[in-house]
Amino acid sequence: MKLVLDNLTKEFGEFVAVDHVNLTMTNGVYGLLGVNGAGKTTLMRMLCTLLKPTGGDIYCNGKDIFQLDGEYRNLLGYLPQDFGFYPEFSVKDYLFYIAAIKGIRPIVARKRAKELIARVGLTKVENKKLKKLSGGMKRRVGIAQAMLNNPQILILDEPTAGLDPNERIRFRNLISELSEERLVLLSTHIVSDIEYIANEILMMKGGAIVNEGTLDEIISTMPEKVWDCIVPQQSVSALTKRYKVSNIKSENQSVNLRIISAEKPCETAICVHPSLEDVFLYYFGEKVGDENDTF
Amino acid sequence: MMRMTRFELKKIFLKPVNKIVFIILAISLCVVSYFAIGDVDYVDENGEKSTGIAAASALQGKKNEWAGYITDDILRKVLEENEHIINSEEYLSTDMIEKEKAYSKKQGFSDIREMINQAFGGFQDYNYYRADSVTQEEIRSFYDRRTDNLIEWLNSEEQESRYSEQEKQFLISQYGKLETPFYYEYADGWAALLEYAPSIIMLAVLITVFLVSGIFSDEIQLKADSIFFSARLGRDKAIAAKIKAGFIVVTSVYWIMILLYSGIVLAVLGIGGAGCSIQNGFANWKSFYNITYLQDYLLTVLGGYLGNLFILFLSMLASAKTHSKALAVTIPFIILFIPSFLNGISVLSEVLGLLPDQLLQVCTAIKTFNLYQVGTKVVGAVPIIFVMYSILFCILLPVLYQVYRKTEIK
Repeated sequence: MKLVLDNLTKEFGEFVAVDHVNLTMTNGVYGLLGVNGAGKTTLMRMLCTLLKPTGGDIYCNGKDIFQLDGEYRNLLGYLPQDFGFYPEFSVKDYLFYIAAIKGIRPIVARKRAKELIARVGLTKVENKKLKKLSGGMKRRVGIAQAMLNNPQILILDEPTAGLDPNERIRFRNLISELSEERLVLLSTHIVSDIEYIANEILMMKGGAIVNEGTLDEIISTMPEKVWDCIVPQQSVSALTKRYKVSNIKSENQSVNLRIISAEKPCETAICVHPSLEDVFLYYFGEKVGDENDTF
Repeated sequence: MMRMTRFELKKIFLKPVNKIVFIILAISLCVVSYFAIGDVDYVDENGEKSTGIAAASALQGKKNEWAGYITDDILRKVLEENEHIINSEEYLSTDMIEKEKAYSKKQGFSDIREMINQAFGGFQDYNYYRADSVTQEEIRSFYDRRTDNLIEWLNSEEQESRYSEQEKQFLISQYGKLETPFYYEYADGWAALLEYAPSIIMLAVLITVFLVSGIFSDEIQLKADSIFFSARLGRDKAIAAKIKAGFIVVTSVYWIMILLYSGIVLAVLGIGGAGCSIQNGFANWKSFYNITYLQDYLLTVLGGYLGNLFILFLSMLASAKTHSKALAVTIPFIILFIPSFLNGISVLSEVLGLLPDQLLQVCTAIKTFNLYQVGTKVVGAVPIIFVMYSILFCILLPVLYQVYRKTEIK
């Protein structure tokens, strides 16, 4: 499986959402990382044929995906960011319906739905109406529908957004299990998700891919160092103004700071190994939205 | 595709709000049937009025005493009988009960009496008592008077410029083609059925729109569109399944409503008179469409079906294009109510005669004198709207398909 994005561009009036993206993806897990509004969802929607590019092309194994039409969508599994469903349908009904619009034969659909319901741990609620499920359960239904046709290309847009830490870890592991032998493109602004499951990381900013590579490659591109230092409470304000601070943690009367800087920010600072979160902060200059972080 | 269609239907029928819609449909059916049945009343020899099965049956018996061809002899007999009644004590009495008793004797030939009123009352005028002064000599011109009145009306100052010579000739020729003498029998069941048919047809369209307007927009409203359109069949067969589901809902709701309504009304009021021409009686005396009650009924229900299909698919198109269920729901209301506001403007009458609301009231449209010249041929509005909206409906389907197929998720 090979997906090639050739000079892919999408403009909404004056606004350029995706800006001349060139990318080649084969089997493996790709983590698309970027702040809100970076163009991740637009890019994914184009990959799912939900939006037509204003410029450039997308090729699947050498053929234009919009010309392949249904043939391409047959290879595709998609879990959108805003996962909408039919509230009056039961889990089973919903999966049977999606199987029908995916063109899966009824016998295969029944078998596949049963397997996936079990795999995502929803057997006990398979006859429950979707509107009565919790947010995490709905997301699991979402991943099950995406997997119904055993897709070669799996596109997951913010799959862990809004889930509690337990659900998120569970969901992350599930995605890892499902990612074998296929191309998975996973978008998120939760850095730790990408860190755990992506083989290849794509960093997106202002509609363009600004950095790509494995976790180590991405980290190695950062020209500045990461420092861990314990400072008195009164120094925090001055240091945060002067440096990019990726983490602040209060400890008794002092504060533990994680600072990104080319120079040693203070006498007590110790140089530590940078994480993806540090790189994210360095490139995007924003705090990461991971709820496990301390503030 | 059947599987997808079944799921589309399930989406419609499982919605809690749509259960209320079905209840409203059932209530509408009962109310309109009740009014249609109440339209036929019978006054017994004691002057007491009644409605319902027994009343309809009694009236049928009275009227069918006059069943047969309305020849000059019959017309004379009607005049004699009428004269006898209007000179009776009951009729001349000031007491309402006595007057009703007199009327009870007229009931059997009241339809024929109404036709005499119309024939001798002028084209645009109506005088309930005109039949009382028609002589045995005059009555021989009964059928000719119908055409003479038309010619007189067409040549009047007001109408002279309204119709071309060809159109005038068309109307006169249509009148001439009407087979005389009329065959008469009790047809009040059909008359009442047709009187209220537009109400049930319009209610069907106004209520059904709540069922079908979400077929296309709900995917977007529920944010289920991304998965729908990224599925293999999401941009072809799944859309066709939605169209098919819409067609099934519109067709089933319409025909269930119409057949139940027709069944209830005809079962109570009787099916006699289906073969009588519609000009028999008061309502359609002037119509230039030479058809029977049964043909009028068939045209009305088929027109209603075509109108339902066209208007509701237009709503679905609006919902597919704008993704707004609210806008889609207003379409039938706009189509039905705007013409009634413009009705008073005579220059628009020809345009109004071709609007889709006319399909929902064919039995009313056949009473109007809207004429159109197609090439060298003059035709009434009814055949034109049937052909025009059949073509437009056929165009609407692929347009709806293409519009929804091209939906982008922004």
